[in-house]
Amino acid sequence: MASASTSLSKAEKSYIHSSLCSSPPLRADGRSLFDFRTVLLETGVAPLANGSAKLNIGKQPHEGGGGTEVVAATKLEVEDIENGDGVEGGRIICSVICSPSAYPHLSSNALDELQYDLTTILHQTLSDSSLHPPNLGILPNKKSWLLCIDVAVLADAGNVFDAIFMASRAALWDTKVPRTRPIEYQARGLAPSGAADVEMDTESGQQAQKSSFDTRDMIKTAADFELPDYWDEGEVLGGREQWPVCVTLNILPPMHYLDATPSEEASTPLRLLLAFSFPPDSPAVLQAMRLLGPGELTVAQLKAFTADGEKYARELFAALEGKLREEDLRRNVKARDRFAAR
Amino acid sequence: MAQNNFDRRRINGPEESFPPVFEGEDDIPDTLSGKPRAGRNPGDIRPIFLKAGLISQANGSAYIETARTKIACAVYGPRQSKTTVYSENGRLNVEVKFTPFSCTRRRAPIRDAEDRSVAAQIQQALLPAVRLDLLPKSTIDIFVTIIENDGIEGCIASGSVAASAALADAGIEMLGLVMSCAASTLGKEIWLDPTEKEAQAASGSLILAGMPALDTITSVWQSGRMTPAQAIQCMEVCQERFVDIHSIVAQALLDNAQVT
Repeated sequence: MASASTSLSKAEKSYIHSSLCSSPPLRADGRSLFDFRTVLLETGVAPLANGSAKLNIGKQPHEGGGGTEVVAATKLEVEDIENGDGVEGGRIICSVICSPSAYPHLSSNALDELQYDLTTILHQTLSDSSLHPPNLGILPNKKSWLLCIDVAVLADAGNVFDAIFMASRAALWDTKVPRTRPIEYQARGLAPSGAADVEMDTESGQQAQKSSFDTRDMIKTAADFELPDYWDEGEVLGGREQWPVCVTLNILPPMHYLDATPSEEASTPLRLLLAFSFPPDSPAVLQAMRLLGPGELTVAQLKAFTADGEKYARELFAALEGKLREEDLRRNVKARDRFAAR
Repeated sequence: MAQNNFDRRRINGPEESFPPVFEGEDDIPDTLSGKPRAGRNPGDIRPIFLKAGLISQANGSAYIETARTKIACAVYGPRQSKTTVYSENGRLNVEVKFTPFSCTRRRAPIRDAEDRSVAAQIQQALLPAVRLDLLPKSTIDIFVTIIENDGIEGCIASGSVAASAALADAGIEMLGLVMSCAASTLGKEIWLDPTEKEAQAASGSLILAGMPALDTITSVWQSGRMTPAQAIQCMEVCQERFVDIHSIVAQALLDNAQVT
């Protein structure tokens, strides 16, 4: 797979290998094998999108920049089921674009290929039917939402897969689906034909006149929809607890470590990507597993790595969830308090 | 006049076309859950037909057929790299093409993202096995043509096996023959070598590639929902099948070597 790599000499690679395998293991920035660099997350960065998040892993505070920077945004579009590509219940499309500034040494073809690879992994994991949110339909058999998740990699300082999945999860958490109301236009004066599925309270003896404001049964026959409140952002996208987090285990048999910097990635190209979902009150489930890079493993090693990966993913999930709730508070409750107190 | 998607190099068919619906096709039950597998046991793979040396122009080639998946693979190499950058290890370049008639809906002849993802997985499966360190400044080109497609998992698995046989036919040094097998979880059962319908009905799929001679795994691809324990179980079942597929490939290569 074409991926960014810093050029390392054999001596540097060997140096990194031997320091990782030494006891205690040593890394260039002094972290332990399973420590992540500082992760900065902010939601609501793209006001035009239905949900967005910006994530940075490993920003250097004294240098004022650096680190893997990723922006994810979700956008909802309406699709026609009969005439267009829409699917009953809505569908999800993911795409990843890599900014040329993140990979200056790659040609445009190689950059396209890298984008394809990242897009495929993200799309195959997130568009799976087991993660499909329940509230993406609008009018049954007529209109549905298309949820587009777009992730832009602005800078790559290692561990881009974890960043992409974390940012997508944050953007999906932040996504609000506009509330819709089905409407039907009826010519004035026409009596409703037949009382087939009209479940109205009938006045005693008389058949009540069907009011054109009565929308109770309209969803079956409605031809169009409207937004009852233009300024309302909508309801939260369903199933937000289930979106997976990904953890990349960089493997140097027999050991493994997390969150590699670019030189570490270049010296240990074998990686195992594990995307876990933690539905509430259920054991963890695996949503994606990929082995990337030159190297072989035995099934026993894979078993051990998967078990370790689940532990790391659980910690990552808990930390991310805490931060997302804090972001929700900051943007909604605290903003309202500040506004009320001004 | 349609300005977009106007392919000037070919005689274009009608803009909109639909695959024919055959009478009796609706009789095939859509839901497979709860029913036992039709036609074979859950742990059985479909019979494989493999022949090496079909494309005489290439350094090595192989043709594989498993029920409704038909794939032809040609290997050219090792030949000189076109790039001027010196590379100490050889390069393995896999290109996959779906013929327009391979799927139910006609595919445009233009390469798209799905071709690339299949190619990336076949490359991942073969990369650890080929001895690229013996071929500096060289490239090995593997061209996989999918003539009939019965599910992407089947294509990737059969494509890897065909590519491995073609590499052996070309005489390129490898650590071992790479075998590949796909598995799907439907409910509590694990079905090996799923067809397209079975894979779509499944809750999760896993494709495993490895070298049975060395008992190692070179590529894992899992998608859909599976518990980690189920994934490990799928891997173990697939690994058992590798030995069977390996004997078929070895036999085909021996037959071809005896003829020439």
